[in-house]
Amino acid sequence: MGGVVSSLFGSGEDAGTESEPSRLLKFSSSARWQLHYNEIKESNKLMVVDFSASWCGPCRMIEPTIHAMADKFTDVDFVKLDVDELPDVAKEFNVTGMPTFVLIKKGKEIERIIGAKKDELESKVSKLRA
Amino acid sequence: MSVPGFEGFEKRLELRFFDDDNSITSSPMGLRLIDFESLDQVLNEVQCTVVSAVANRSFDAYVLSESSLFVYPTKIIIKTCGTTQLLKSIRPLIHLARNLGLTLRACRYSRGSFIFPKAQPFPYTSFKDEVLVVEESLPKSLCYRKASVMTPSNNPSRAWHVFTASADVESDEPVVVVEVCMTELDRVNARSFFKRKGDEKSNSDSAGKEMTRLSGIDNINANAFICDFAFDPCGYSMNGVDGGRYSTIHVTPEDGFSYGSFECGLSLYDDGHEDISEVLSRAIDVFRPNDVSIATTYGGEDYNHEVTKRVERVLAKKLGLKCRSRLMDEFPGSGTVVYQSFTPRRK
Repeated sequence: MGGVVSSLFGSGEDAGTESEPSRLLKFSSSARWQLHYNEIKESNKLMVVDFSASWCGPCRMIEPTIHAMADKFTDVDFVKLDVDELPDVAKEFNVTGMPTFVLIKKGKEIERIIGAKKDELESKVSKLRA
Repeated sequence: MSVPGFEGFEKRLELRFFDDDNSITSSPMGLRLIDFESLDQVLNEVQCTVVSAVANRSFDAYVLSESSLFVYPTKIIIKTCGTTQLLKSIRPLIHLARNLGLTLRACRYSRGSFIFPKAQPFPYTSFKDEVLVVEESLPKSLCYRKASVMTPSNNPSRAWHVFTASADVESDEPVVVVEVCMTELDRVNARSFFKRKGDEKSNSDSAGKEMTRLSGIDNINANAFICDFAFDPCGYSMNGVDGGRYSTIHVTPEDGFSYGSFECGLSLYDDGHEDISEVLSRAIDVFRPNDVSIATTYGGEDYNHEVTKRVERVLAKKLGLKCRSRLMDEFPGSGTVVYQSFTPRRK
């Protein structure tokens, strides 16, 4: 049973649980997400939205990398949204393949990466954060 | 050649599991709940690793350093090339599935004929040895077993090897799997799959995207999302994801041992999807090979002879490829396999 539970909640290591301070923000409600989005929109900050699902193997695979990137790029906002918890937002952003990373600046989508593409994501975040 | 080149021909393993409704740990996501560390460990045994991945509501698709892995709720497909130890994955996968309350239902192991057979490690030096290893790894409940080598009379060195084992004598899997193996690729077409000079250190994800576009692979199925990867200094892999349908292409472009494979799984009851012969024709046209073999597996009992004939007609008409051999065999609990061999019609 333990094996199944740990796999349902991401990789075996601490994947940004509530008790641990993580730079990766997670929103389970549309309203809270909208509030955050409106806030970031006012600034020049790059926001990386990670659309994933608990049952998506590739999403779990890249999770440690996203946490590491959030720790590394402290001037970038990292948000994780579960497509089952926020299906309307997933639909609004036209998410089909997963994980999908949408890079947003000033309320506009400037880049999108579909798939667990570590190198491409890191290179694009690095380039677009300025 | 004193040193063998890279072996493009893949070994393919498919494991199917029962939908165990009574299990306390059962979930509609089934095998997709296997944690990544465990999958990675299995791939380590096989001697390969994940280089890219994508998923949708139906399945997870991983591009590996040596081909591909697809994880559906009750089905796993692993395809690996080079000198990988694919059969080492059977026992650990059955074990991981059992932990999730899933029981093995059927196993299929298949491959073409290696370009460099002597470069393969044991047991891949002989199909008889491979079959022994697979049999030892499977539970006795899979009692309907058959091994077959389908050898075309026009080209005995390009045989198709299949071993199947099933718990049922009837197969109800409404899936058709088409595996295309191509050798002697057109040299100009093969050039698309070499990283350009100065590009060697470039991002393999973006180089892969470029190869997909340049080669015309993105036109094979316009509906599919493509997860691609370019290897250093050459070589290419992609997984296509289209609803529940998967497709996969792997290319070894080097002259002398060039190889390209195209595989897709489609449902027989899939209306609104394009005719498979057109898809195959476009896929083969990317490579313009001098030798093509197509192994089509009809999972259920619904073998369709019209499809076989249509594929031959379309390939002859559109690509000038003449069917030189057509063989068929039936596997208890695993359906029918048709194996066709094609070479260009002499002008």
